[in-house]
Amino acid sequence: MSTILRGLQFYPGKTVIHKLDPRVKLVISLLLMMTAAIYLEVTIITIVVAVEALLSIIAKVFSRWARTVYGAAPLIILVFLLNVLFKLSMPGQSLGFQSIYEALQLAYRLVAFLASFSIFFLTTTPEELGMALTKMKVPYMYTFAFISAIRFTPILAEELQSIIDAQKSRGLELEKGNMITRLRRYIPILIPLMVNVLRRSYELAEAIEVKCFGAKKNRTYLRELKMTKRDLTVLSISITLFTLAIYVKLFVKLNIP
Amino acid sequence: MTIIKSSNLWFKYSGSSEWAIREVNIEINEGEFVVLAGRSGCGKSTLMRCFNGLIPHFYEGEMIGKVEVCGLDTRENPTYILSQYAGMVFQNPDNQLFALTVEADIAFALENLSIPKEEIRERVDWALRVMGIEELRDKSSLELSGGQKQKVAIASILAMRPQILLLDEPTSSLDPFSAKQLIDTIISLNQKYKITILIAEHRLDLLLPYASRMIVIDDGRIVLDGKPREVLDKHDVMPYGVSVPRIVKVATQLKKSLGYSFNHVVPLSVEEFVEILRRWRN
Amino acid sequence: MIVFENVEYVYPNGFKALRGVNLEIESGEIVALMGENGAGKTTLLKHLNGLLKPFSGRVLVDGVDTRRTTVASLSRKVGIVFQNAEEMFFSPTIYEEIAFALNNFRYPEDVIQKRVGWALKFMELEEYRDKSPFLLSGGEKKRLALAIILAWSPEVVALDEPTVGQDILQKEKMIQIIRQANQQGKTIIISSHDVEFIADIKPRIILMSKGRIVKDGPAEEVLTDIPLLQECSLLPPQIVSLTSRLDFLGIRPKLAGPEEIAVEIARRLK
Repeated sequence: MSTILRGLQFYPGKTVIHKLDPRVKLVISLLLMMTAAIYLEVTIITIVVAVEALLSIIAKVFSRWARTVYGAAPLIILVFLLNVLFKLSMPGQSLGFQSIYEALQLAYRLVAFLASFSIFFLTTTPEELGMALTKMKVPYMYTFAFISAIRFTPILAEELQSIIDAQKSRGLELEKGNMITRLRRYIPILIPLMVNVLRRSYELAEAIEVKCFGAKKNRTYLRELKMTKRDLTVLSISITLFTLAIYVKLFVKLNIP
Repeated sequence: MTIIKSSNLWFKYSGSSEWAIREVNIEINEGEFVVLAGRSGCGKSTLMRCFNGLIPHFYEGEMIGKVEVCGLDTRENPTYILSQYAGMVFQNPDNQLFALTVEADIAFALENLSIPKEEIRERVDWALRVMGIEELRDKSSLELSGGQKQKVAIASILAMRPQILLLDEPTSSLDPFSAKQLIDTIISLNQKYKITILIAEHRLDLLLPYASRMIVIDDGRIVLDGKPREVLDKHDVMPYGVSVPRIVKVATQLKKSLGYSFNHVVPLSVEEFVEILRRWRN
Repeated sequence: MIVFENVEYVYPNGFKALRGVNLEIESGEIVALMGENGAGKTTLLKHLNGLLKPFSGRVLVDGVDTRRTTVASLSRKVGIVFQNAEEMFFSPTIYEEIAFALNNFRYPEDVIQKRVGWALKFMELEEYRDKSPFLLSGGEKKRLALAIILAWSPEVVALDEPTVGQDILQKEKMIQIIRQANQQGKTIIISSHDVEFIADIKPRIILMSKGRIVKDGPAEEVLTDIPLLQECSLLPPQIVSLTSRLDFLGIRPKLAGPEEIAVEIARRLK
């Protein structure tokens, strides 16, 4: 699980992909996913994954990207197995080559989805994502909530660790006992955590208040996203390619697996 | 010129039976450097909250009397207006920074106030320069040390160009060296940029040499108010939970039981004490 | 009693917190770990009860390698009061808050009652016995944090930055408690960058910088070494700053109480 999460975490870089407007990146990711969604052919999905791999190489995040996909293997296998089971449970179905192949296609499609997400998050800072949200007319309240969630996650993780350390030093043994007693052992950890979160949010509210949050209806922004010519070019190329993909799907009879 | 004025101020937090502030009459002039001292929980923080509108707007409770900050009645003006005159910095820097970069944190209040982009840029640059943290601009606050975080927190308030800075124990989580650096920067804000400073602190040894005024609070009341030298010369502030600098203790001892009064000059810094002793010997 | 042999520790993010620490602490000592934030003090403390295990080298507590036992069993010998221990309360009453550890250590009920009663009395918290720990004042919370640890009478009591956010009256109380506990035979280890506080206790000082021990000696020696303190980003105690500049009166840099220094200055001025 943690490998997947790491594959969704921004990795700094100065490549063309990093510099691309996050909205364009978001669109490309979505287009790649949609391509994988309208086709079931293994060849096409392989092309999609190959394009994603190429993008990750250009962005110099290939190894991280690959690890995400690799790390998602258990999840993908699970989806595959569930699909097989689902097919088997349908009346009149037997375990044949066809049903396994179809389950495989679905699982493979998931790889393309995940890989596409990974590229986007690996090359986009949460801040850029926030700016993209603002540009897409998401109310600032939500953008702020999103950004502060990202800002405080590591702090809360640290706090959780220090609570665990302190309670272990008071003889708390988390590993012992059955499910129920184990859950009960988490009370000394969860209560202080909640109390601290409450206290922190009160202090935050105070700090936000003195920084005039919500003072004016029309907030200004120091940094805003601006589409450059390059962004627009990349965007139009991507859309053209996607249109081609739809055209082929609708009007060309493909004879590939 | 009077910049903060409170007359017969009382305040009680809702849900509490005790008055947190009792009968505070205070006048603070432009450019002063005021140290608020007193034991934990004596009312220092509460008093500062009265000066930027957090009381009565953010904290509910019973407020009697009147506070005027730069001529504005705190009852009639919201915190976001008052904050532009009296900016407040809190104890824990982690809870005052909520953006992902230092620059974004410093711009935050200005963006909320709908200030044009060009001016925000100018003011952010200025605040970074004044606090001496230009190299931190693109850093995330997770990468900063405690002292750096607190400097960013101050910069994020300074960007609003307040005339008054209220600081609530800003060094309490810092190690001595970072604390000294931060206090030196705060002193320069007063001396170079003429910002009026009100600071609640326990590290008086670092502050008193520069403070123009020392106010001791006990149980919500102002019990002593004057120039640090005079307050420390005439009164024993220990019972109020004020940590008297060790050299002041040495000087007091010399005066009380050994008959050296040094013309009633209480030394506030080591340099000053050494100078006094040198002169006395010759 | 406690031995560190060439201990190294690296955090998962790659930060080298301890770089070869060698240390011996005898039973009944008062020891202060000093150094700036990030010098490795807290990391070292966490090795005392096995919360962290050395990457290389080893830590022995009463001859037992911390890697061969559990945090729970080490904690009975070494009680750590963390810096924000007052943020770890969760029980409905102060009595239960103190009894929590004793229950974990499986003390019989009558012993628990006796021990909690003793700890409440020692920390002057008896009147709050059935009150919620969340309703205590700042200083009282700090005393409760100490009562929690002292209740099971560990041989070693380690305190992480006990004076942060405390006023002078609370600090004096803390010194009194530390002295008392030490007189009862406890080994005390204090991690702190509060030089004035440590100067009042005058313990053996272990000065740390960037994961290494740079000096280990009595307070009188370490706290009067101004260049060394500055190297470690610490400021000397004010008395030391003063006495280090009084050579024209024939006074040598020294660590002493204000009264003693006043008497000496008066004598030299005559």
